[in-house]
Amino acid sequence: MSELTHASAQKRLIGGQLLGSSQLVLGAILAVLCIAISIAAPQFYSEANIIAILRQCALVLIVASGMTMLIITAEVDLSVGASLAFVGCIGMAVLNSTHSLALGMLAALAFAGGVGLFNGLVVTRLRVNSLIATIGTMMMLQGGVYLFTREAVQNHNQLTSFTDLGAGYVGAVPVPVIIAALIFVVAYVTLRFTTLGRYLYAVGANERAVRLSGLRSERLKLLAFVGTGLCVGVAGMILSSLMNAGQPTAGRGFELTVIAAVILGGTSLLGGRGSLFGTLLGVLVLKVIDNGIIILGWNQDLQMVVPGIVIILATYLDIIRNNANVR
Amino acid sequence: MSVDFLHPGEDAAIDTIVPALEMRGIGKRFPGVVALDNVDLTLEPGKIHALMGENGAGKSTLIKIMAGVYGKDAGTIRMRGREVDVKSPRDSLKEGIKVVFQEIALISEFTVAENIFLEGYPTGRTGSIDWKKIRADSAALFNRIGFNVDPTARTGSLPVSQQQMVEIARALAHEARVVVMDEPTSSLTPNEVSLLFAVIRRLAALGIAVVYVSHKLDEVFEIADTVTVLRDGRHISTKLIGEHTNDTLIQDMIGRRIDNLFPRQRGAAGSKVALSVEKLSTAKKLIDVSFEARAGEVLGFFGLMGAGRTELAKAIVGYDPITSGTITVDGRRLSPHDTSTGVRLGIGLLTEDRKSEGLMGELPVYQNASLASLGAFARLGFVDKAKEHQAVQDYVDRFRIKTPSLFQQIKNLSGGNQQKVLISRWLMRGLKVIVVDEPTRGIDVGAKSEIFALIDRLAGEGLAVVMMTSEMPELLGLADRIAVMCEGRLTAVMPRNEATQEKILNAAIG
Repeated sequence: MSELTHASAQKRLIGGQLLGSSQLVLGAILAVLCIAISIAAPQFYSEANIIAILRQCALVLIVASGMTMLIITAEVDLSVGASLAFVGCIGMAVLNSTHSLALGMLAALAFAGGVGLFNGLVVTRLRVNSLIATIGTMMMLQGGVYLFTREAVQNHNQLTSFTDLGAGYVGAVPVPVIIAALIFVVAYVTLRFTTLGRYLYAVGANERAVRLSGLRSERLKLLAFVGTGLCVGVAGMILSSLMNAGQPTAGRGFELTVIAAVILGGTSLLGGRGSLFGTLLGVLVLKVIDNGIIILGWNQDLQMVVPGIVIILATYLDIIRNNANVR
Repeated sequence: MSVDFLHPGEDAAIDTIVPALEMRGIGKRFPGVVALDNVDLTLEPGKIHALMGENGAGKSTLIKIMAGVYGKDAGTIRMRGREVDVKSPRDSLKEGIKVVFQEIALISEFTVAENIFLEGYPTGRTGSIDWKKIRADSAALFNRIGFNVDPTARTGSLPVSQQQMVEIARALAHEARVVVMDEPTSSLTPNEVSLLFAVIRRLAALGIAVVYVSHKLDEVFEIADTVTVLRDGRHISTKLIGEHTNDTLIQDMIGRRIDNLFPRQRGAAGSKVALSVEKLSTAKKLIDVSFEARAGEVLGFFGLMGAGRTELAKAIVGYDPITSGTITVDGRRLSPHDTSTGVRLGIGLLTEDRKSEGLMGELPVYQNASLASLGAFARLGFVDKAKEHQAVQDYVDRFRIKTPSLFQQIKNLSGGNQQKVLISRWLMRGLKVIVVDEPTRGIDVGAKSEIFALIDRLAGEGLAVVMMTSEMPELLGLADRIAVMCEGRLTAVMPRNEATQEKILNAAIG
């Protein structure tokens, strides 16, 4: 038996040292999608459209960067969508009363980081399963935001720096795309090259082994929750800038898009396995599908249906690939 | 289903001539590897046939073919002279072959009786299930194997030993001619083992051919009539047990001789106290445990199942909480009581449960090895991979860890090599005291002596080794001093040269 597994593992190494092979599958899907849509609708390839796609990717990618780390530790946060809306309202309200982008930003980060901390404490201290804990938080936030404001918090002072956060450009590149790229790179470097990144994988792979090795596994998970929260803080401010208001109804279903992108990217819900590069591909695939449906003039409701099919299909392909490796 | 098992052996005269099961030239390949190559196995009714071999020898593949879990690629299977084609577990059961796997295949939410008749409930005239008959028949079955389990008990609430009995009763309900027991004693207490052996002997007395899969030599010598040894997927020998000695059996299993299972290289232990435990108690198990371990010695802890060895191991490294008592490592007190303090002071645990507490199965060998010492390879939080890989490679070379590369997922290594990686994890970190809990559990005979040599070397390098074990030979072969536990208390501590099996067992019983 051991010779058998050795042989297959070597095969896996040859194929997957640079790219996990689930990324290969995903890259292929992305390429096929782009080519197919371009043939059907050539305007897909215009610069304007590509930038539009990237801009739509930005929000998801920001939160998915944190979520990838969190899911690698074998936890998950379903409250990010609800938090996103709440954060926008709070940031906007603080901005209105202080006329300071920095303070608004700080308030948004503090609130969203606080939500992450709360989730993390409930999971690590009270030992409530993160799926359940964050559904609880999600409900609290969805209700809580209406206690805070019954309607959208309008932008009263129109700071250009705030408007630029969502709608500005540096050269041809939208500001949100630049912010997303920065966060992505930081997260990528952390996961790939630092001890912290290695510990995050380790906690997901076997939390008890990590604890027996003298590491504080609970703090590592807490950190991942707070990191995810902070990403939501950034995304929330960008969103409210784009909408020029804090919308309590924004962000419904956002958590599903984020988690779908992460899982599509090959990160295992069981923890210990996954990559940010995969997440990037996952986000791109989902947003290219969105964009394609609009460009082709299909029924917009397909924007939910098609990604659902893609997730099941991609995961199934991944299983087939894994089985082929084992045999 | 008819319950005619109450009248067995009517054709006993034929049974003694015709083998209950005959496997000839069995071959099985998985892509890239030949798991079984031309293997023969003949089972006589009423005999207990041990199937032995190291991990990967092909034992489990062979019994999975018997059970219909795998199909065979070559060879024939005959049941009482008639060639049969076993394509699924259901076929196998129908032909009268019942395999009791290590992972018990019962539905834990069902009652014992429901489980026994799972494949076909007796029904009354209206087509409803005849519960009264089910309960009565189960009771009759248990009566036959001489073991008592309440047929109405919820299966999941029973200990593993009794769930095994339920599986055996199921075999009888199916009128099995062949019962295969796969490593049945791995989680049983000595008492339960002797009960199981009594039941197995009764099965044989009923004319059933029993296959006993194990790698425990003493058990095989106690219970088997015949031994077949497999190695690397090939049939090595089939002999009557009387023709074997311990040495010949080991030689057949590993293909070479092991002259000395416990090579002692280290000198005498020092006098410096590395670990001192005083009046340690935990909420669930330990009561006032006090002892000292010195640098350079192996302190062996013996105890029966449930004596509290693993609890002690986990408490003294800071993993499990304690209610009172103090632990001092190298002169410094373990406080606060957690593993990060423990590791900082220099005490670490090599766990008995590698899979759930030691290995990060999906991760590569090098990450498993460096887990506890990663900080030493980092600058400003960034891992110096070249340095890390070099350090791990050194250990792979020194301990002759067999792995195709540092990037191999550790779950693909053999138990012995996994254990060596986990020992490396601690050595790379540098410890004063290492607590090893059942260090050779699930490890092949051949690799065992290497692990023993490693433990000897650890003590030789000045570590205090606290070893928890339930294996008497391991205890007597390795330890400088022997501590015995019983029901959470320490009942005796004696130097090796004053220890006898009898003294140790007496202290273990309390």
